[in-house]
Amino acid sequence: MSENLIEQLQTYAAQSNSKVSVPRKDETFIEVDQEHIKDFISHLVNDLRILHLATMTGLDLGQNIGIVYHFFQDENTINVKSTVPKTQPTALSIVDIIPGAILYEMEIHDLFGVTFTGNPWINQKLLLPDDWPADLAPPLLKTTKPAEIRKRLHLEVERK
Amino acid sequence: MSDEPKRREESAGLMEYSVENLVPFGPIHPALKEPEYFKLILEGEKIVQVIPRIGYVHRGLEKAAESRPWVQNMYMFERTCGICSFVHSLCYGQAVEGLTIYEVPRRAKYIRLIISELERIHSHLLWVGLMGHWAGFETLFMWVWNDREVVLDLVEAISGNRVHKSMNAFCGVRRDMPENMEDRIVERMKFITDRAHYYREVIDTEETMLARTENVGNKINQETAEKLCAVGPMARYVGLRHDVRLNDPYAAYDEVPFDIVTRTEGDVRALLRLRLDELVVSANMVSYAVKHLPDGPIRVKIAPIIPAGEHSAHCEAPRGEIFYYVKSTGGRTPDRVKSRQPTMANIPTALELLKGQELADLPMVLTAIDPCFGCMDRMSFLETESQKQWTWSGEQLRQYGIKHYFPERFNANSSKFKEDH
Repeated sequence: MSENLIEQLQTYAAQSNSKVSVPRKDETFIEVDQEHIKDFISHLVNDLRILHLATMTGLDLGQNIGIVYHFFQDENTINVKSTVPKTQPTALSIVDIIPGAILYEMEIHDLFGVTFTGNPWINQKLLLPDDWPADLAPPLLKTTKPAEIRKRLHLEVERK
Repeated sequence: MSDEPKRREESAGLMEYSVENLVPFGPIHPALKEPEYFKLILEGEKIVQVIPRIGYVHRGLEKAAESRPWVQNMYMFERTCGICSFVHSLCYGQAVEGLTIYEVPRRAKYIRLIISELERIHSHLLWVGLMGHWAGFETLFMWVWNDREVVLDLVEAISGNRVHKSMNAFCGVRRDMPENMEDRIVERMKFITDRAHYYREVIDTEETMLARTENVGNKINQETAEKLCAVGPMARYVGLRHDVRLNDPYAAYDEVPFDIVTRTEGDVRALLRLRLDELVVSANMVSYAVKHLPDGPIRVKIAPIIPAGEHSAHCEAPRGEIFYYVKSTGGRTPDRVKSRQPTMANIPTALELLKGQELADLPMVLTAIDPCFGCMDRMSFLETESQKQWTWSGEQLRQYGIKHYFPERFNANSSKFKEDH
C-alpha cells in the first residue's frame, strides 16, 4: 500500500481513537468505534475516493458481533472493523453513503441478527427461509448448532 | 385470506403495495432449476420497482466450512457454482496462502491462469448462447454451445473433468499440464477467436438480436455503477476500468500481456460485444501462457494447520470480482470463511437497469448481468393501476418477450403462448 494513503488513514484514525494495523504489504485493518463508523466510511468514500466496497462480513467474537467492511482500491485492501454487543445488536446503515451495501446489510441481518438503522429493506428476509422460527438464534452464531437448525426446520434425514 | 400467504408477501417487501385481493401462489421449490424470485411492480407495461428474494438454494456453506478441515473446504467451495468452479477454489486458496509463508511456484501460477481463462471462455460462450435463447434466436444458442464443447474438451484433457476441475491445492496445483498439448491448445484458441469474430458480426447484423438488444436496458452512468458497487462486465460496460486481473494481479496475470475491454454504449448489446471481445483476449492469453509455460515444480506441500490471522483475497471470475475472507485461530478448521459471489454484487445494478423498462425486455436485461440463477422460474406481477396480479414462469415470460417484438412468429394455430391473465 502506498505510504501516503496509510499516513492519511492513520492521521484520520487517530482523531477517533481507532487502531490501524498492517499485517501484510497491501492489506490494512482499521478498528473503528460504532459511533464513528459513518464518519469514517464517508471520509474514505468522499475524501480519499476509495469507492469499491467488495462486501461486508459478520464475525462472531464471543461477547460481540464484528462487522468488517472490505474496500479495495487497486492492489490495496482496506478492512474497516467495527463491533456491536450481542445484547443490543444495532448498527448504523451506510446505505446513504454506498447504496450498493443494501444486500450485504440484509445478509448480515439474516445470518447474525444485526439490525441496521437506516436500511429501508432491513426487515425483509434475503437468504433465510420464510418459516425460520423467530425464537431460533441466527444461524452463523457459534452457539447455533447445525443439528438444532435441522431439527427446528424439519430437515432431518431418516437414516436406514 | 389466511395468515400464511400474507406473511409471505410481507417478507418479500410488498408492504406498501399490499392489497386485499393478493393472490397467493405456490412456494418456489428448490428442486426447480435455478430457483429465484423477483417481485415486479408495474405501471401498465413499465417496470416501476423490482424486489429480489434470493436464498432458495442457500445451503449454508459458510457454516459448514467452520467444521471442516482447511483442505476439504477448498473442494467444497469449488462446488458453489457449476460454471465458474475453479475460480472459487483459487480465490479461497489465495486467501489461505496469504496466511502462510510459502510462495506459489511459477509454473503453478501459469497453470492457474490457463484454467481460469479457459473457464472464462466457456462461461462467456454459455452466456452468449443463453442470450440467443431468451431473444428467440435458437440457432445462435445451438452454434455457441457446440463451440463451447471445444473448450470443455480441452479442460477435460488437462484436468480430467469437464466442470469441477479440482485442480487447485494450497500453494500449487494438483496436476501438471499433459505433454504435447501446446499445439492443440493454440489451434483451438485460434478457432475460438475466429468464432468470436463471427458472432460479433452476427449480433451486429441479425434482425432478432438487433431488435432485442439495441437500446434495451436503463442506461446508467459510471458514478451510479461505482456507487452500486458493480463488478466485472457490469462495471466495464459503462467504461470503468474495473478488473481484478489488471488492478491487483494474481496468478501469472502480471507476466502475461493483455488489455481489458471496456465499452460505453450502455445497452444490452454493449454487454454482448464486451463479452465476445473478452473471448478473444482470453484466447490470446491462453495461447501466450502455454507457449511461455516455465519449468519447475507445480506445488509446495504445506502443513494442514494454518497460522492464526485474517486475510481477504479477490479474483476475477467470469461474472466479475469474487471475494473470500478467511479468519484462522491456528486450528485445523477455519474460524470463519466469508464468500461473496459476483451475482450478489451485481443485483443492485440489475435492479437499476430494469427501472422504466418494458416487461418484454425483462428476460434480456436480467440475463444480461449473467446471473448465476439464469432461469427465473416464477415471477409474480402486480399492476399498480388496476391492482391486478398474476404469476408467470420464466418460459411464459420468454414467449411474451418474443411475441412482443415479433408477433408474426405466433400465428393462431402454432402458438403455444397462453394469456394467463
